[in-house]
Amino acid sequence: MTGWHAPDDLVTRYADDALPEPDAWSLEKHLEECGSCATRVSRAVRETAAGAVLVDVRTAVLAAAPVPAPARRVSNARLWSPRVFLPSSRPRLARVLWAAGPAVRGAWPAAVLLVALGAVALAHAGGFDGTRPLLLAVAPVVPVAGVALSYGAHADPLHEIVTATPSGGLRLVLTRTAAVLAVSLPLLTLAGLLLPASGAPGAAAWLLPGLALTSASLALGSYVGCRTATAVIAGGWLCAVPARALAAHGGHPTARLAEQLSRCLDGAPAQGAWAAAATLCVALLVARRATFDHGEQR
Amino acid sequence: MTGLRVRHRRTTALDGVDLAFGPGVHGLLGPNAAGKTSLIRVLATVAAPSDGRVEILGEDVGDHRRRGRVRGRLGYLPQEFGYYPGFTVREFVSYVAWLKEMPATATPAAVERAVARVGLTDRIDAKIRTLSGGMIRRVGIAQAVVNEPHILLFDEPTAGLDPEQRVEFRALLRRLGADATVIVSTHLVEDVAAACTEVTLVDAGQIAYRGTPGSLAALGGSEDGSGDSAIERGFMAALRAHRAPSAAREVSP
Repeated sequence: MTGWHAPDDLVTRYADDALPEPDAWSLEKHLEECGSCATRVSRAVRETAAGAVLVDVRTAVLAAAPVPAPARRVSNARLWSPRVFLPSSRPRLARVLWAAGPAVRGAWPAAVLLVALGAVALAHAGGFDGTRPLLLAVAPVVPVAGVALSYGAHADPLHEIVTATPSGGLRLVLTRTAAVLAVSLPLLTLAGLLLPASGAPGAAAWLLPGLALTSASLALGSYVGCRTATAVIAGGWLCAVPARALAAHGGHPTARLAEQLSRCLDGAPAQGAWAAAATLCVALLVARRATFDHGEQR
Repeated sequence: MTGLRVRHRRTTALDGVDLAFGPGVHGLLGPNAAGKTSLIRVLATVAAPSDGRVEILGEDVGDHRRRGRVRGRLGYLPQEFGYYPGFTVREFVSYVAWLKEMPATATPAAVERAVARVGLTDRIDAKIRTLSGGMIRRVGIAQAVVNEPHILLFDEPTAGLDPEQRVEFRALLRRLGADATVIVSTHLVEDVAAACTEVTLVDAGQIAYRGTPGSLAALGGSEDGSGDSAIERGFMAALRAHRAPSAAREVSP
């Protein structure tokens, strides 16, 4: 530049809006390139009547702009806006439900509760003494059904969007599965404890098979998608245990079911085999974790 | 921001496509089933290419960890936009912000900003199932922009919007394109003419034409082919030019 700077009287006249237009334009052109003159002009303008208006505008803009300040200040400010405050009053609960996924928010927990209460009611009010074997035969399939309703293009309307986020993939699958297990394991085991044994294995005997079937569904799901995998695994269990027991001859059906369940669930070898199967499926799932990174196509 | 480089070869839907996108609004134009959705899904990291390399924001998305980093800076509106009908607009957009791992303290303000951008502030606490189709689409746009993404992918975003909303959406596109790479797939030529800085014509899994809306219109300007506007005629001319050599190949064995 030439080294020219705006003389003080020019600056004052500009601030007072007393400068002819061509002179104002050439000064503005100079201000675009000269920081020190721009500072002087700003100071001069602030001292005029326009200064107060500028302060007001600045305050209004800052108040309207989102505050990147510490969290506490933001939430204090939000206290004054009831419309904004309402949904954030229960953010933790909302987050737990978000993590739990569609199954736990939907009709599935009600179905689990119905199975548990139904079994207890049938045993105590109805006097039917074969409820423990029935419950044990159905219980391992309940978390598998929960998984089917939790993840995949068919269960989650948001699947496509979820997959494109950093949370998508195996981590979300496991979070949702954990939520499903957290609801179904205690509820069904508790219900089993309240039922007469009637020759069936213990109320907790289904836990390892339940885990094994759930992890098998997920591992198989990495190949064929969640819906097909859960259908195959649940169908496989229902065919192998209750259906076979009911199709067999001799004795009362519930007695046959109890006997079949004892073969599958009772004793260290059976439980050890279920534990091994669960471990194997989890290992396979971890090995194939990258497949959950991409979306299922409907 | 680094641009976006895509090489994607020999899949069923896309065949040996090489593309690079920089900041601005890019229209992905083509007939139905041309491979637009396949391309968008690959760019959204939802589908893996069977061959080739995709690089977004300088990161190779074939790599698991890098893919996670890219996804945090991505916004995606799929063609079939699914939602939880029982959620309010605010809950839904917050949920997506949570999935995108935005800091919890910044989320409420970001959600309100995103909803304001699509003009739904007065319905922010309404349940999504009570909204009209066009409003639901706008909720979809809000969830895509909530994290101020560097890359925005819209698959047929103007479907279901009425003409007035389409005009508003195009203005939003232009604003978004000022500092992000916005890729919009559409089969509506007028969307591209009004909002895009660059056009990529996709046909039968291949790139048929690349240029600006102006150059596409110029292509059809001189001819008196089918189409109601210069750019529509340009679109038809570019498609014919692309199909002509392959048609000739099919005839001669």
